[in-house]
Formats: sequence, structure tokens, C-alpha cells
Amino acid sequence: MPRGRHLRQSQTDWAKERPLIEAAQRDPTRFGDLYDSHFDRVYAYVARRVGDRTETEDLVSDVFHQALANVRRFEWRGAPFSAWLYRIAANKIADRSERIGRERAIQPSPEIEEADQEVAHDCAKVFALVRDLPEDQRKVLELRFVEEKSTREVAEALGRSEGAIKQLQFRALESLRARIGGKHG
Amino acid sequence: MAEHDPIERLDDALEQRALDGRAAPDREIRELVGVARRLRDMPREAFRTHLRTQLREEAMASTAATAAIQLREGFHSITPYIIVPGAAQFIEFVKQAFGAEEKLRYPSPDGSSIMHAEVKVGDSMIELSDGNEQYPPRPAAIHLYLPDTDSAYQRALAAGATSLHSIEEMPYGERSGSVRDPFGNHWYIATHHGASHIPEGLRTANAYLHIVGANRLIDFLKQAFEAEEVELYREEADGPIRRAKIRLGDTILEMSEAHGPYGPMPTGLHLYVPSVDAVYERALKAGATSISAPADQPYGERGAGVKDPSGNSWFLATPLPARE
Repeated sequence: MPRGRHLRQSQTDWAKERPLIEAAQRDPTRFGDLYDSHFDRVYAYVARRVGDRTETEDLVSDVFHQALANVRRFEWRGAPFSAWLYRIAANKIADRSERIGRERAIQPSPEIEEADQEVAHDCAKVFALVRDLPEDQRKVLELRFVEEKSTREVAEALGRSEGAIKQLQFRALESLRARIGGKHG
Repeated sequence: MAEHDPIERLDDALEQRALDGRAAPDREIRELVGVARRLRDMPREAFRTHLRTQLREEAMASTAATAAIQLREGFHSITPYIIVPGAAQFIEFVKQAFGAEEKLRYPSPDGSSIMHAEVKVGDSMIELSDGNEQYPPRPAAIHLYLPDTDSAYQRALAAGATSLHSIEEMPYGERSGSVRDPFGNHWYIATHHGASHIPEGLRTANAYLHIVGANRLIDFLKQAFEAEEVELYREEADGPIRRAKIRLGDTILEMSEAHGPYGPMPTGLHLYVPSVDAVYERALKAGATSISAPADQPYGERGAGVKDPSGNSWFLATPLPARE
């Protein structure tokens, strides 16, 4: 099967990732570091394919539970740890469509798979930037865009004026745009 | 004026749920809407931290059950514990038939019986004792991998065993035969055709459970001891389990649903775990009954006993740090 260059990992990247994986293999309570460095990507990947938030959370949860249970079996064969996680995720997504009575999704082509992983990677960078914002800005973005609340609803939830919410949302998006580097999509 | 305020204009543009920034009047607003659009698939922070905590708790629980512990020389996670009528004769039998080596023997104070003994066969230990009122004899089945099945089988018969099954080439790449020793134990003697006479993952002596309720037992082992299914074989999809291999710690346990001459043989098993107390509690929760609550034992282990739903007795143990 042809493999895109993004599905392979350089020795240098592996050298960075390897200690985290080996630590988790020796002692599963150290899995948290791997979780932190891969959560956003896996979440973005699943969300992109599934759409619905509750479903996404259920699937992401399954993916990491399975990854924790099997981390000792992970062996490096040139592909990064994230590729292993994406594969678990893709299987869970396929199982789910079967379960809910849809036909098993056709296995995406390597090109689509690669594109999806790349998008997930980009999204993950944005999610990480959001986490670096001041807490009140982050909270506003989450309520506004993840939970899809109106400015008024957010104002009520946070006990602040609508004007304050609008200002926080403006500043937060401005600062994200600056950090992303003006690109949007 | 409000319409000229970018903060208001952005909010207006965002209120259009489609987050289609193209309708927005100027470039700045369009770009900000574009950024907002990328946030729709963002995870909830509460979910991210909750899942992290959940995984940590799960990892803690699993380390409690399977973390590496320093075992006594020659021991693995599971050691079969056989209670026999005539432990001294039994030791002679395994020496003669299978080349076992006696490693330890504690006679009773009056010297009339053996309270505890340990023999080594190949890379495996077998523990045993004479039966008494509290612990009546409890024969077991052992799957034994030796370099020369034929001669071991012959020696076993010469030492007083009766044949259960004569030597045969098996379709799964093994030469095997089986005997019943004078104490009621079954020995499935085999030579694996491969790089080693012992198949991957197994040892010289492997406990083989013939039990009622193999399905239920496997669930129990998973819940109580975090066992892992390695292999499961049924003749029909929902028929009885003919053979299962279940991994506990570093050892694979074999089992099958009792049938015909292979009637139920609830077995005694010595299981090393990193925390007796945690595993004892989990075992009871998973449906075991208590034989004895966790307590420090004079022989340098903290031990507890439980009986699983199929009637096997588990002696859970954690080595205590050496006191000197």
C-alpha cells in the first residue's frame, strides 16, 4: 500500500516521542504525557469524520481507553504514534457506523486519510493556542462556538454583561488570528 | 456608532450560525469569522480533563494488578497448588516420571505429613501439600511440555500412572499423550514441534482448568485479575469453550468447559500480585467468595484466599520486603 510521507516519521521525531512511549509501556500511569500530546489531534480527526459532539466524545474516549490498554503492544515501524491512534480511531468510527445500521463506511483512500490527518494536525495547533488564552477568553470561545450559545446565553452563564462577552470574544479571536499567522480556512 | 464598532460587527457576523464570513463587510471581520469557524470542532475542556483523570485511574488500577514484583527464584505469576493424598509419594512420582527436582519441604511437626513442598520441573514450579480436613485433596490437570513426550509418558506409566490417551501426533503441531497419576492428577504430556519444545507464551508446566462455567470464569478473571484473553476456541459459535488461553501477569492459564472424562477439577492456584489487598477486594466485587482476608504470613508474604465462581481456589500473594 502506498504511504504518504506524512504517515512516516523521521528518526528525530521518533527520538522525541520514544521516551514518552517507553515510559508509558513500563508504567501505564505515565500514559498521561502521551495523552496530552495527542488528544487534540485525535479529537479533531474524529470530530471531522463524525460531526456530532456527543458521539465524538464517546469515540475519543474509546480510542484512548483502548490505546492505554494496548500501549505495551505498540511497536515502532516507521509510522508515528499518532498514526497508531488514528488507526484505532478509524476502526472505532467504522464500527460505529455499522452499529447504527449504516453500511460500513468505505475505507478512505490513503490520500483522504493523509489529508484528514493533516487537517487534524492543523486543528490541534489551533486548539492548543486556545488553551493558552486567558481563561475568560477561552471560556467564552468554548461556550460560544463549541456549545453554540448566543452572546446573551454566554453572558448569563458567566454572570457578565453582553458587552463584556462581545469584547472578550473579539479579543480572543484577534489574538488567535495573530498567532495562527493570518491564515484562515 | 454601534454599526461601526468592529466588536459589534463581529458579533453580528457570528450570530449568523452558518459562520459564513463572506457576508461580512470587511476583511478583518471575515478573517475573525474564519478563525471562529475553526473552533467548531474544538473539544470541551471539561471533557479533556475528565478523560485524562479517567485514564489515570484506570492505569493506576491496572498497575496495582500487573506491575512487576520481585518473585522468588523460579516463580512466575501463577503456580499450581496441588493438594494430594500422600505428598511424599507424589514428589517421588514427579521426580521419576518428569525429572522434577524437590526444592522445599516443610513436614508437619509430628513428621507424619507434608505441610508445604515445592518441586521444579523445567522452568516451572509446582507447589503441593498433603490434604487434611480443612484442605481435602484436590487433584489438578497440568499441561506439561517436555523434550521427549514418549519417554516421559512411559516413565509416568512405570511410576504408577494410568493412560488417559496414548501418544499421538496432533494436527496442531504437537506430539502428545496423557496420563492420570495415582493421586488423581491429569498430566497432558506434549512436545511442541517448533523452535522450542514449549510453544510461545507457555512454560514447562501449565495449569489446565477443567471447569463448569468457563465463560463466566473468564469474565471473572478479567474483572478480578485483569486477565487477558489470548485464545478462545469453540466448535460452534455459541457452544461450550473447548480451549481457552488466558494471560494473567506473566503466565498463561489454559482451560476448557468440563466434559466427559475431563470432569470439573477445581484447582488451587498461587497468584502473585503487586497488591494483595487491592486484588482481593476486586475479586470479591467480581463475584469471588473469601477464603481468607489479606494478612501478613510468617513466610514473608502477604496473602489472601478467594474462591472463584467455578470453584478454583486462588491464593493471592505479595512478597513482603525482607526484614533483616
